[in-house]
Amino acid sequence: MNIALQTQSPALSEYYSETKCIWCDGCGNYGIWTAVKYALVELNLHPWQVCLCYDVGCNGNGSDKIEGYRFHGLHGRVIPFAAGAKLANMKVPVIAFGGDGATFSEGVGHLIHGVRSNYPITFVLHNNTNFGLTTGQASSLTPQGQSMNTSPNGIPENTLASMDLIFSLNPTFVARGFSGDIKLMTRILKAAIQHRGFAFVEMLQACPTYNHFATHEYLLDRYFDANAEGHDPGNLQQARALATQDQERIACGILYQGEDIPHFYDRLIPRRGLETTCVEEVRRFDVSEYWKELV
Amino acid sequence: MPRISLKMVGASGQGVNSIGAIIAKGLKRSGYCVFGYREYPSLIKGGHASYQLDISNQRIRSTETKVNVLVALNHHGLELNMEELKPGGIVLHVTPEWQFPEHHQKLIAERNLRVIYFPVDDILNRLGATAILSNVLLTAFVWSMLDQDIDALKSLVGGRFAKKKTLLELNMRCIDEGFSFVDPEQGTISVPLPPPDKGFSSHLLITGSQAMGLGAVHAGVRLYAGYPMTPSSPLLSFIAELENKTHMVVKQAEDEITAAQIVSGAMYMGTRALTATSGVGFDLMSETLSLNAMIENPTVFVLAQRPGPATGLPTWTAQGSLLQATSCSAGEFTRCVISVSNSQDAFDLMPVAFNLAEQYQISVIVLTDKQIAEALYTQYPYDLEKTEIDRGRLVADPEKLKLLKSSDRFNPHAVGGVSLRWLPGSEAATYCAQADEHNAMGAVDESSLNTKLQMEKRLRKFHGLKAGLPAPHLSIGGRRAKTTDWMNEGDEIELLAIGWGSTGDVFQDVMCSDELRGRKIAYLHYTYLWPLRTQELQRLVMRSKRIVLVEQNYQGQLGMFMRMECGLDIPDKILKYDGRPFFYDELLASVMERCASTSEDQQNVPDFVLAGTPS
Repeated sequence: MNIALQTQSPALSEYYSETKCIWCDGCGNYGIWTAVKYALVELNLHPWQVCLCYDVGCNGNGSDKIEGYRFHGLHGRVIPFAAGAKLANMKVPVIAFGGDGATFSEGVGHLIHGVRSNYPITFVLHNNTNFGLTTGQASSLTPQGQSMNTSPNGIPENTLASMDLIFSLNPTFVARGFSGDIKLMTRILKAAIQHRGFAFVEMLQACPTYNHFATHEYLLDRYFDANAEGHDPGNLQQARALATQDQERIACGILYQGEDIPHFYDRLIPRRGLETTCVEEVRRFDVSEYWKELV
Repeated sequence: MPRISLKMVGASGQGVNSIGAIIAKGLKRSGYCVFGYREYPSLIKGGHASYQLDISNQRIRSTETKVNVLVALNHHGLELNMEELKPGGIVLHVTPEWQFPEHHQKLIAERNLRVIYFPVDDILNRLGATAILSNVLLTAFVWSMLDQDIDALKSLVGGRFAKKKTLLELNMRCIDEGFSFVDPEQGTISVPLPPPDKGFSSHLLITGSQAMGLGAVHAGVRLYAGYPMTPSSPLLSFIAELENKTHMVVKQAEDEITAAQIVSGAMYMGTRALTATSGVGFDLMSETLSLNAMIENPTVFVLAQRPGPATGLPTWTAQGSLLQATSCSAGEFTRCVISVSNSQDAFDLMPVAFNLAEQYQISVIVLTDKQIAEALYTQYPYDLEKTEIDRGRLVADPEKLKLLKSSDRFNPHAVGGVSLRWLPGSEAATYCAQADEHNAMGAVDESSLNTKLQMEKRLRKFHGLKAGLPAPHLSIGGRRAKTTDWMNEGDEIELLAIGWGSTGDVFQDVMCSDELRGRKIAYLHYTYLWPLRTQELQRLVMRSKRIVLVEQNYQGQLGMFMRMECGLDIPDKILKYDGRPFFYDELLASVMERCASTSEDQQNVPDFVLAGTPS
């Protein structure tokens, strides 16, 4: 986050949208959507100060249910678009949203390189463990034996160990929230947006229409705030163990944060010492100095 | 126009490029126009590579198939390239006791070739120098054959070793040795060059990729993202080499999709950003092209052509991606396709492309090809004053920003389909850049009425864009006068040739040839390929006895668009699709053949039919 402090605090109503919500009754997106608005307001950010980038899926249908400079793009591609937006204007906080289908199937390469690059953006994974908007197919995070649309016998592939994958990439921020706990999600999102590098935030959410295994009640019974139970986000090994052991109880909260790791832009030597953004620098450049060696 | 050609051949990585580059720069500084052409296989070491320099004291921008001097760095060159020598040509080689086969001995006798064995290993041993210096020795000898000043070469080579005294001294000794070498059998050999024109000495020696890179920086590009793929990679390398001076953000992405998305995100935010790729890499970018059409995000893509399909011929040239550039991607939308032709417009068209993209809030695809990307041009220093940065309907003034409504962003009733644009982070009403069909403020709207309005908004831009694009450029053989008036009326044209891209420069050289002096040949060169203007073409066709289409692809892709747009079918085509560019002598022969067969009463111009009618 890199925005100037505002003298006048935003009202929650600034984020109200004229567009009606069309998610299913009981969808986890309502909770996440609400927590995002709270987090932005509590961070003193007006809609015009933020860039919200949405992938394709049920989460993406939220792109016109909130105010802010928004982008709703192509399936699986939200991370590189958001990264490009942020690198062009470091003064604007950029938050990207994607589902488990987009993130761990179509766009898994972008996720890997996004974490590896440590782009200074927040990425919010809407994990409802299936492809909701295309009517309930298995994603790579759906349990293997689970019967789904297009896989009545369950999927033949192994279920992807998503948190193991994330932790193998040396992340600088990993958190997990639950769509039924708005206070927890708001706390996580605020920390993520303020984080220096790539903040990976998983939101476990109910999909009442297609996910009949990890339901709202299932998640409600098992989730807990690990930070409230004393988990130190500075401990990478403990964080990884907590994140991956999710059979009995599901650890939520800020699982890991590395504070002092430079992000992608900080590592760009040509940008060091520059106060301006790429957006501000667009003008006609005299390039005659660069062709001297060619004469 | 006098032409001398010099060709270095050898294994990739053996030094053909470094010898070629030093000679080219030295000759240019002495006042010669040099055009350099590289051929090499897609590997790093080994394989047969060449670097040819075509030299003149007048503007030269093409390669001949025949050479005056062949420098063979290994025996494969002696096996493979002997046929390319002109009568009286010189073969310089380093292979001890090489025995030419009988057919080559016959060739040497027939063409009166002079063969020089240069004992590079003996000289290196005598000097206690390593094999890496063999290129300096050879360069110095070639330099002496060209009757050039030894000190000019010394200062050129010396500049590289200013801080390494021992290396510098060894290099200078190699230059002395190479320069003073005299073949015991052939005696002193001289390749006469025409008198120099000192005007060239201040020119740049530049590849099309470097020209494009400089043009991009000049145009205000502040972020570059790319994935390596020949022949777009030299642009990425050049931009990266400059990054500490330009302070640009340079990102080597994990794939072409990422590069295209990063650039799109950066453009959405409001900077100028660029990516480049080739063939199948552009296939991967095509979904992003479609995305940008829907969110009306100005973007520029460089598509550097090489022969396909698939991996095809990675290090060779083609003009086979015109259909791809104009037609790929989902849905119907307005886009602009332009093509650079040489180092001049590789520079000039970069600001033009960004201006067009921002004026119409569309994607502009800039075509180049391997020939332009890697050829070495002698280039007059660029005019840095003529470009204006035009950001179209971008609102930045704080007072005007306050007046904006969300629904201004994609207002379907905007004049010419181009609505107001303002940047994220501006204190103003916000909007959604929405890849789903959307209403004026970017909210999803699938209604019949809205869909129709927004489709019409985006496609209405096409008409303004088409009307505003410059006319194709007409050149008349042998004429130096301005051709603008000639477009409308003038003499009967004996042969009207039509082409685009790297074909243009070769055709210009062909038209300047002695063989075609006094012939009424016209060449219509297309830089703006889509939307396609045909009014000039239609007028010229009426005055032409014969028309020929010149393209480096199999189907005559520009010809296909001409037929589609105005009904003109051009049955006579000079097409090349073997990965090689048009060569000067080869294209000259094709043109002369057509001129000879154009008789007074016979015309090959087809009856003009209107577009859409069966022919």
